[in-house]
Amino acid sequence: MTAAAIEMRSINKIFGPVKALDDADLVVEAGTIHGLVGQNGAGKSTIIKILAGIYRRTSGNVSVFGKPLDQITPASIEAEGVHFIHQDRLLVPTATVAEAIFLRNEPRVGPFINYREMNRRASELLKLYFELDLDPRTLISELSTAQQKIVQITRALAHDAKVMVLDEPTAALVSREVESLFSVLRRLKTDGLAIVFISHYMSEILEICDVVTVLRNGTDVGVVDPSEVGIQKIVEMMTNRDTSEMYPRREVEIGAPVMSVRNLTVDGAFEDVSFDIRSGEILGLTGLLGSGDKEVLNTLFGQIKPDAGEIILHDKQQKFGSPVDAVNAGVAKIPEDRRAHGVATGLSVGENMSLASLGQLSTRGFVDRKKEAEVVDGLIRDLGIKTPDRHTLVKNLSGGNQQKVVVGKWLGCNSEISLLDEPTVAVDVGAKVEIYNLMNRLASEGKGLVFVSSDLEEVTEMCDRVLVIYRGKIIGEYKRGEIDADRLLAAASGAVAETERKRA
Amino acid sequence: MTNQTDTAVRESRFSLEAASNYAVIVAFIAVVIFFTFAAPGFMSGENIFNLISNKVVLLAIVALGMTIVIGAGGIDLSVGVSIDLSSMIFIMMIAAGYMGAFAVMGGLGAAFCVGLLNAFLINKLKINPFLATLGVLFIGKSIQQLSTQGGVPIYLTRAEYAAPFDAIARTSLLGIPTPIIILVVCIIGVYLALHRSVFGRYVAALGAQADVARYSGIRVPFHMSIVFISCAVLSGITGILLSSTVRSYVPLAGDAFLLDAIGATFIGTAISAERRPSVLGTLIGVALLAVMRNGLLLIGWNFFWQQVGIGVLVFLVLGLSFGLRKRAE
Repeated sequence: MTAAAIEMRSINKIFGPVKALDDADLVVEAGTIHGLVGQNGAGKSTIIKILAGIYRRTSGNVSVFGKPLDQITPASIEAEGVHFIHQDRLLVPTATVAEAIFLRNEPRVGPFINYREMNRRASELLKLYFELDLDPRTLISELSTAQQKIVQITRALAHDAKVMVLDEPTAALVSREVESLFSVLRRLKTDGLAIVFISHYMSEILEICDVVTVLRNGTDVGVVDPSEVGIQKIVEMMTNRDTSEMYPRREVEIGAPVMSVRNLTVDGAFEDVSFDIRSGEILGLTGLLGSGDKEVLNTLFGQIKPDAGEIILHDKQQKFGSPVDAVNAGVAKIPEDRRAHGVATGLSVGENMSLASLGQLSTRGFVDRKKEAEVVDGLIRDLGIKTPDRHTLVKNLSGGNQQKVVVGKWLGCNSEISLLDEPTVAVDVGAKVEIYNLMNRLASEGKGLVFVSSDLEEVTEMCDRVLVIYRGKIIGEYKRGEIDADRLLAAASGAVAETERKRA
Repeated sequence: MTNQTDTAVRESRFSLEAASNYAVIVAFIAVVIFFTFAAPGFMSGENIFNLISNKVVLLAIVALGMTIVIGAGGIDLSVGVSIDLSSMIFIMMIAAGYMGAFAVMGGLGAAFCVGLLNAFLINKLKINPFLATLGVLFIGKSIQQLSTQGGVPIYLTRAEYAAPFDAIARTSLLGIPTPIIILVVCIIGVYLALHRSVFGRYVAALGAQADVARYSGIRVPFHMSIVFISCAVLSGITGILLSSTVRSYVPLAGDAFLLDAIGATFIGTAISAERRPSVLGTLIGVALLAVMRNGLLLIGWNFFWQQVGIGVLVFLVLGLSFGLRKRAE
């Protein structure tokens, strides 16, 4: 039997008081796509960072194709043919496609880079693997996220990768792009590459992985074939609990409208959008990428000025010039890009959570630190935020817990309307449930919620009513009971609109 | 066994972390002890008094302003302009026979305008703070040269002008010289603003991630304006203290404070676990720089070698502090 492509045995990693990895194993054979799943904090990224030479292991053995590796550095592991496609794009935005692909591997003439040769080989590789006609002189900053992913993978191929580790490669891709990524991965697999695939999307794991290692609390709790055991079982292994409580129910009386939107229009984004949000209601807003759903949400939060139409809140027409006005009028927003807009990762949990409600936590401009501590500690307990204390910096928290900090920030300021933009993106299953619980709690307190998500399953399960936006117009409204994912998808992709047009 | 190792790991980590935070303070104490023995006269009451009232006070007030700006994620390269224009207007008004109080207000008003201009460039024209204040620095230098025939100092050493200068620089309250009282008031004010008030929290949020502040409903332009105006006015106070001490206005004298103020602020970040600017940290940074200058002078190093000494010290202290920090992580 030949040696495994990657063999990590009994890996331990201790961060101060925290044991991030506890005797974890990860064995990846060549010619397979190997899934790595686990909740946030289960140790996925730690074990990958140890392999990548970013962290040093406390103990354990790592070998690549049978060769034991003692000290791993990012450069040495690449020399072994192991390449990493990280979640955050790590390409230089001002480099060209060809420069990015051949970074540190440039074809040379003497001391000079042979640009002609480099560009030729870059377009060759892109065509060979992706059937992509991309000018190799295009700047990275001009590429879509999907194209950047492709460039990163091409770079690994240009360096003769034997093992490729992809961390959430599909997070920012639309379904067509995911398909083409998958067909490339399958081809690489038949070429004999070992691929490690990390994803929160269980359906993708099922679709593409031959084997899955499940991590829980820093230990591998199972190595299974996903097509054999099924998604349910894998999720249960990850969370150690039954998944039937995934979408908690609520019994909430839906009351009078809190906010009314009338004929709202932003030129080029959406037009003539009208709806009410009632107290106790979770209103879904869904559409394909670029349909205008996000722009509606941004307009309700004062980030975009409407060209026509009205937003009525507290029986008053609101003119939101900026998010400041929206917040003052009682609108909260959980932004999609958590790290850029949701939490300040360099501030502590407490500082983040009190940021939007300092007005209520202060007297004559001075922070009432006792009151703040009470409120923040209460919220930390209430929301089950896993943090040593409120002084811990948010960057040391897992993604799900960071998201809870964002939610907690707005709970403290008691807003009438909450706008949620993909609140569960890149959050593990356990934290998702907790975020759904929080949404239910807001609804039961009589708040109105607007929920935008591209995960149709959660939209179906969580919303009282769903509005479907297609090319900037509301083309369908579905009440609880008539909502199902297929119907929403059909509407969102324009099928309904097309039929109606034919009928007319 | 495992438990023991865990505890050991934890303890060593925390002591390293603590050591990294205290490195600057330890260095400061070490430097003081060194000069106490190496430089006769360093520990004399007279030297300490002069050091504080001439060097520390002036730099500390500017550095406090810089602490606010850097805390908010900005930088103010125009503090020298605020100092100089404040000093220039103050001296010109005294020379023109205005009452001392009005001259002080005039000087501070000039500094206020510098801050307002910075705020306008940053908020309205969306120029980043580095370039906005760099532009103001260039313009400010020219204004001084144009209004002093290319940089001729204004000396008001005649006795008829002495009263307002003496009132600021040579009086004392309960035996404490007025400049020191002014410094203490500034320290308390900036401390309360940065570390106890809502404004301070907003500054920290701006410094950490301005977008998050905006999305939390914080009026970012308003608070940025306060930040830059505070820094300019604090620098203006230094300008007036400086002129009162030397009874003159020397064009471009304020330039000397710029890098020291930035340096002191950044040295000060080493005392906080999050590496944030703080009032206490900045004051230690100021004291460290002042003691080094003074001590090296007393042991007979010439000006040029002093700079080398200070540079090496900064490397040592920060290298030690950040190195220990990295080990701890």
